[in-house]
Amino acid sequence: MAELPGASAVELGQNEGDPRSRNDQPPVLAAPSVIEGETLRAIRVAPDAAARPTSGFYGFLDGAQSVHVVNHCGGVPIVWATVSAAVRVRENRRLIAWRNRAPAVERRFYVPLRYVEDMGPTLRDDPRVVDTGRPDSSGAFPSRHPAALLERAMQKVQQDRETLEQRLAEAWIETEKSPLYVDGSITGSDAVASSRLAVGVIKSHNTLYAEGDAFRVVVGLEAGERSSAFRVAPRSRCPVASWYVRVRGAAGRDALFGLVRVEAAFTDDLAVRADEISRWVIAEGSPLALPDGRWDKMSYGIRDTEEFLRAIS
Amino acid sequence: MSEPLGRVVATERRPNTPHEFHFWTALDSPVGIGTIVRVEGANPVNGQIPRVYGIVVEGFSYTDLQSPMHDVLGHDGSPASAGYSVTERAEIRLYSAAVLRQIPDEPLQPVPMGEVHLADENDVAVALRMDGYLREEANTGIPIGVYRAGATDSVIYLDADFLLGPEAAHLNISGMSGLATKTSAVEWLLASIFAHFPESKGSVAAVCFNVKGPDLCFLDQPGHLDDRDRELYDKMRVSGTPFEKVQYFAPYTAKGFSLNTLRSNEALLHNVTPLTWGLREVLKYAEVLLNRDDIDAKADALIDFISERVVGRVFEKDNYLSRDHTVESFGDLEDWFRDLLRGLEKGNAESWRTHHIATIRKVRNRLTNISTRCAGLVTDTGTVSDLPFGSFEDRMVYVVDVATLEEDAQDLIFARVVSKLREHLERRDLGVKHLIVFVDELNKYAPSDGQDTYVRKMLLDIAERGRYLGLVLFSAQQFRSQVHRRVVGNSGTSLFGRMDADELATPGYSVLTPATRTKLATLEKGQLMVRHPHFTQPIFVRFPRPAVMLGRDGVERYPQATESELDVAIYRSLRQLDSSITLPWVQKIVALYDEPEILRARDATRRAKPANVMAYFESQFRKIIPSEPAIAAAAATREVTRAVRSLPMDDPYGF
Repeated sequence: MAELPGASAVELGQNEGDPRSRNDQPPVLAAPSVIEGETLRAIRVAPDAAARPTSGFYGFLDGAQSVHVVNHCGGVPIVWATVSAAVRVRENRRLIAWRNRAPAVERRFYVPLRYVEDMGPTLRDDPRVVDTGRPDSSGAFPSRHPAALLERAMQKVQQDRETLEQRLAEAWIETEKSPLYVDGSITGSDAVASSRLAVGVIKSHNTLYAEGDAFRVVVGLEAGERSSAFRVAPRSRCPVASWYVRVRGAAGRDALFGLVRVEAAFTDDLAVRADEISRWVIAEGSPLALPDGRWDKMSYGIRDTEEFLRAIS
Repeated sequence: MSEPLGRVVATERRPNTPHEFHFWTALDSPVGIGTIVRVEGANPVNGQIPRVYGIVVEGFSYTDLQSPMHDVLGHDGSPASAGYSVTERAEIRLYSAAVLRQIPDEPLQPVPMGEVHLADENDVAVALRMDGYLREEANTGIPIGVYRAGATDSVIYLDADFLLGPEAAHLNISGMSGLATKTSAVEWLLASIFAHFPESKGSVAAVCFNVKGPDLCFLDQPGHLDDRDRELYDKMRVSGTPFEKVQYFAPYTAKGFSLNTLRSNEALLHNVTPLTWGLREVLKYAEVLLNRDDIDAKADALIDFISERVVGRVFEKDNYLSRDHTVESFGDLEDWFRDLLRGLEKGNAESWRTHHIATIRKVRNRLTNISTRCAGLVTDTGTVSDLPFGSFEDRMVYVVDVATLEEDAQDLIFARVVSKLREHLERRDLGVKHLIVFVDELNKYAPSDGQDTYVRKMLLDIAERGRYLGLVLFSAQQFRSQVHRRVVGNSGTSLFGRMDADELATPGYSVLTPATRTKLATLEKGQLMVRHPHFTQPIFVRFPRPAVMLGRDGVERYPQATESELDVAIYRSLRQLDSSITLPWVQKIVALYDEPEILRARDATRRAKPANVMAYFESQFRKIIPSEPAIAAAAATREVTRAVRSLPMDDPYGF
């Protein structure tokens, strides 16, 4: 930090750096664009009893990030972040590291250079420094407000993590022949979104595709049921087919307990494939991902990958 | 260098120390409790990469499961459905190892992080400091067994200097009856000692007390070995054959006709020698047979007087003795007492040479009773047949069979034989330089509680001072915790077979980890845990079955001879010296004389081992001209009645 005159170390606040605690967007309902039948309905894909179906997933992809505000320089937050992604594959029912591509771990400073005038040349030219003070796609520079700068840094860290995840997912569909369970959306990459080998599983429901009559159907899904498929096409991202699956019964729980949204490429046999993928996702619910707080929706393979990333990053 | 099988790990909660470290392995690694491993450090200390050897003493396995309840919930309470999980939970095999040795020795530091390898044969030698006594020019290694782990098959050697002295000595073996194979282990170890004890250290022999069953009765007969046993014998360079030189000793039965041993089958009698003692041999050890009430100070003084002034010399008549006495046997002693007491009663005297008449009566009662209590061992006649003290042979096993004797006789034999061995070793004239004494059932002979006995005092003496003399105690028992601490504490080497769980719960085993104790409680036959002065931790080894016939096999193949009539017993006994002797010839002689006279002649002949056995045997009797009809009649009724002794033809009182 000698390269940053006037910089002072800071203590991290609780949950600072945890992207899950920083979602300021209000939850919204969106109308599903149903592509399987006329309206959204519940479809049973697996018995709700204990006997779990088998899974066709071979790999599990997840990413992680940790963000620390390590200094303030004239009121500007200096962020140090680690982003990582890894694929774990299942052999003989045990999870091991994927041999074709090593896990990726990158560590960087996120600094809005335009607001840090006294920064020394060595640090300014360091490839580990990411400039978060550049204008966005509309040409607007970020505000000098420390919270806005921190938000910009967080967005950049998240983008970097997604980039690592996409790289691994693309490498997977180039080299492997078995399906990959991706923690989160697959709409960020054309190649991944259109591949039969990638399946995205989304646990958070900030946007719930259940407006109108569909709401009762989605929250009323029972364990082992899925919804009809619908089209998801976020702005500046790739369209995919999507549907909800209830992994665990929600009786006595909140409406979203055990509910995940699945993303997969459009295919001609979408209904059949949605049934099959849904059964796989349900099967991945055992063993439980406890003690993770999202255990009702999380697969054990993703928990294992998160633990792996925690160990190496 | 071999592939690493584990990695050292340490956390703040569970750090490594100079004496203990932790490592994890793959789930399918060949590591288990007792496995010896080598740690290769990563960073040099004083210019040398540290190398640490350890033995696994504890193992842990766990998953990322935080609560058992999570697994129940995950499988909806149905254990059967757990098998359907598409993924097995992440699982760890974590081991704790006790440090055996660090190289370099100094500075002694906590075990560093590093790769863990399975120890190979050279590693095992270094780890157990065997490299110090397996040098080519000064090899004092005695194989005790083979350590096995993964592909490693390494011979474990004891240091003869620490097993048979002078540095340390004695061996103790503990374990459950029937499962710990204690006797087998000692038989194997004796064979190993005889094969490997360095010539430069002199001669070695063993005296084994067979205290129960036929355990040690067939040491010279071949036993059953399978290929795995032979492989072990070859690896440890010990011949898989029975002992070449074995001599058995056993007292007679109370009747005195046949030997009181399970090795009484005629086919095996060639190396069985009677063990009989007379008054002179026994009197010194009267303390063994007499309890504290018997030997108060007054009685003790009289026994000393008899021992020093009466036995073995002419005791001249005095005011109370009617004649001179030469006391050589219990019979003579009884005559002496009878004459003395008669004189005292006649003279109405209350004491003789300061000894009160009541004391004399008491001592008479107790001493003359000895030959009754130890009948078969102690003879009234004074006949002596003993171990060859002074001419012990190198690599010879002397077995004293006391298995079927009464406790008094066992104690007497043990006390006298060990005392004689000690005396001869002190004078360096036993015949061998080192002597191993094997005693089983040490709980009985040297218990940790109870009154102090002569035998226990002797065992303590051997344990504490025997190594300076070359007298080495190999002892065995089921419960080590019940043996006197000074006996087991002085055993430089300790072996443990399968142990009873209750015994393992006693404080003496608290130094072992729970895993090691569990392994001890489940050891297979042929496995031992070894503690030896050079080994900083106990080591598990496997040893072959002894190449001798098992006791139970022996008694089936060579059934014990039935208690026979006098003539058959004499016939069997003399045939060991001369196979041309026939039963009718023996019957002819037996018919002429008294039983004591015949037994005395047999004993004299066996002791002398003459060239002409028949002539020598006959020469032991006074001349009698037999009446032919009497002989014939006696021979005819031999099966149903005792021999009718014929009289001389000129006997004036004959009818």
